Amino acid sequence: MSDPVLELIGTRMTFGKRRVLAVGRVEFPSNGCLVLTGANGSGKTTLLKIAAGLLKPDEATVSFDGMDFPWPQAARQLRERVVYLHQFPYMFDATVFDNVAYGLRRTGMPKPEIRTRVRQCLEWSGLDDHATQNARSLSGGERQRVALARARALKPRLLLLDEPTANMDEEGREQTVFFIRRMVADGLSVAVATHEKHLVSQVAQVHWRMHDGDLVEASVGTRSGPRGFEPGTSQTTA
Amino acid sequence: MNEIVSASARAFHLLVSGDADLWIIIWTSFSVSLRAIAVAVPLALPVALLLALGRFPGRRALVTTFNSLMAVPAVVVGLTVYLLLSRNGPLGDLKLLFTQSAMVIGQAVLALPLLVAMLHAALQSADRRAWETALTLGASRPRAVITLMHEVRFGLVAAIIAGFARVIAEVGVSLMVGGNILHHTRNIPTAIALETSKGDFAQGIALGAVLLFLALLLNFFLNFFQGRGELA
Repeated sequence: MSDPVLELIGTRMTFGKRRVLAVGRVEFPSNGCLVLTGANGSGKTTLLKIAAGLLKPDEATVSFDGMDFPWPQAARQLRERVVYLHQFPYMFDATVFDNVAYGLRRTGMPKPEIRTRVRQCLEWSGLDDHATQNARSLSGGERQRVALARARALKPRLLLLDEPTANMDEEGREQTVFFIRRMVADGLSVAVATHEKHLVSQVAQVHWRMHDGDLVEASVGTRSGPRGFEPGTSQTTA
Repeated sequence: MNEIVSASARAFHLLVSGDADLWIIIWTSFSVSLRAIAVAVPLALPVALLLALGRFPGRRALVTTFNSLMAVPAVVVGLTVYLLLSRNGPLGDLKLLFTQSAMVIGQAVLALPLLVAMLHAALQSADRRAWETALTLGASRPRAVITLMHEVRFGLVAAIIAGFARVIAEVGVSLMVGGNILHHTRNIPTAIALETSKGDFAQGIALGAVLLFLALLLNFFLNFFQGRGELA
C-alpha cells in the first residue's frame, strides 16, 4: 500500500474529566476508503474533527503526507487539505452555485476558472439544474450531494464523511455509496465514520472499530481497492 | 375634551405645514441617535463576537454583566456621563456638555449593553456547523467570522434596530447632557417633556405622533428581522 495521507499518533482528548479519545495510532490510507464503525459516543466524530483540524486534541502527533507538524501548523495544514462533512451538511444561505464555489473563492482562483470548476462539480453530482436555487430549499439527499460537490471542487487530499447515510432511505443510501465509490475510484482518499455496518462491505478497504474512544479492532475490507490501493497491508492500531 | 381635539388639530397642522421648529427637533433626534448607534455598533460587535466565539475564563460572567447592564436606568447613564463631561469632570476640558456630541456619547453608552447582549444572542444562535464548514472549506478565521455574520445577518440587523429604538425614545440622557437647547440639542422626547410641562400640547402631540409612528415602525422591522433570523 502507498504511504498513508495522514497519520495521527498518540491522540488524546478529554472533555472536562471524561476521556473521549485515546488512540495510539491511526492511519488514513492514500487513495482508499477507511471506515470507522462504532456505537454513538465511541469517539468517531471527535477523531474525524481532529483529523480535519477543527478540534484541538490534548495530545497528538500529526504526520501529513509524510511530514510531521506540531499542532497549530498541523491544524492549518489539515484545514487547507482535508474536508470534513457533517452528518447533516450545513448549507450556507446562498445558491447551490455559491455553496459549491465557497471554498474555491477562498483560494484566490480566478473567477472564470471557479465557474468552470463549479459547473463540472454540479454536473458530477447531478445538480446542474439546481445551480441558482437556494441550497436550503433542497431535500436532505440533495443537500448531501451539494456538500460532496462542494468538497470535491476543492480537490482535497482527504475527505472525511461523518455518518453519511444516517437517516436516509434506501435510495439515499445507495446514492451515497455510489458517490463514495466514485470519489475513491477518482483517486480521492476518503474516511467514513458510521454505525451502519453494511457500509463496511460496500466501500471499505480498511475497517476499524471504535469503542470508548479507542480503536479496538482492525480489519482489511473485502472490496478490492481502486488503482493505487493494495489491500492486505497491515494496519496498526493503538 | 375640546382642548385635546383642538391641540390635535394644531398638531396635525404643524406636521403637514412643515413647521421649521418641529422638523429641526425631529432631525436632531434622528441625527443624534443614528450617530450614537454608528459609534456603539463598532464597539459592541467585537465584544459580542468575543463572547460568542471565544472560550476564556470569565466569559459567562461577562455575558451576565452585559445582560444586567441593560437594566441601568437612562437617568443614571445621563448622570454618569454628565459628571464625566462637566467642567470639573475628567473629560471637562473637551467642553462637550450641552452639545449634540454629549448626547451622542450618552446614547451610545446607553445602547452599548443592549447591543452587546442582542448581537451576542444573534451570533450565539448561529449553527456551530456554519463555523466548522467555513473552516473546513479553507476559510481563514476572519473570513469564517464574516461568513458567520452573514448567516445570522437578520438577527444582527434586529439587534441594531432594537438599539436604535432604545435611544431615540429615551429622555433621561438627552435632557441631562444635552440641556434641551432649541435648534441645537432639543430632540423629540425632551421637546415633548418641555411642551407638556408648559401646557402647549400641540407640539407635544405632533412629536408624540412621530415618535409613536417610529416606535411602531421599528418594532415592525424588529419582528420582521427576528422572524427571518429564526427561519435562517
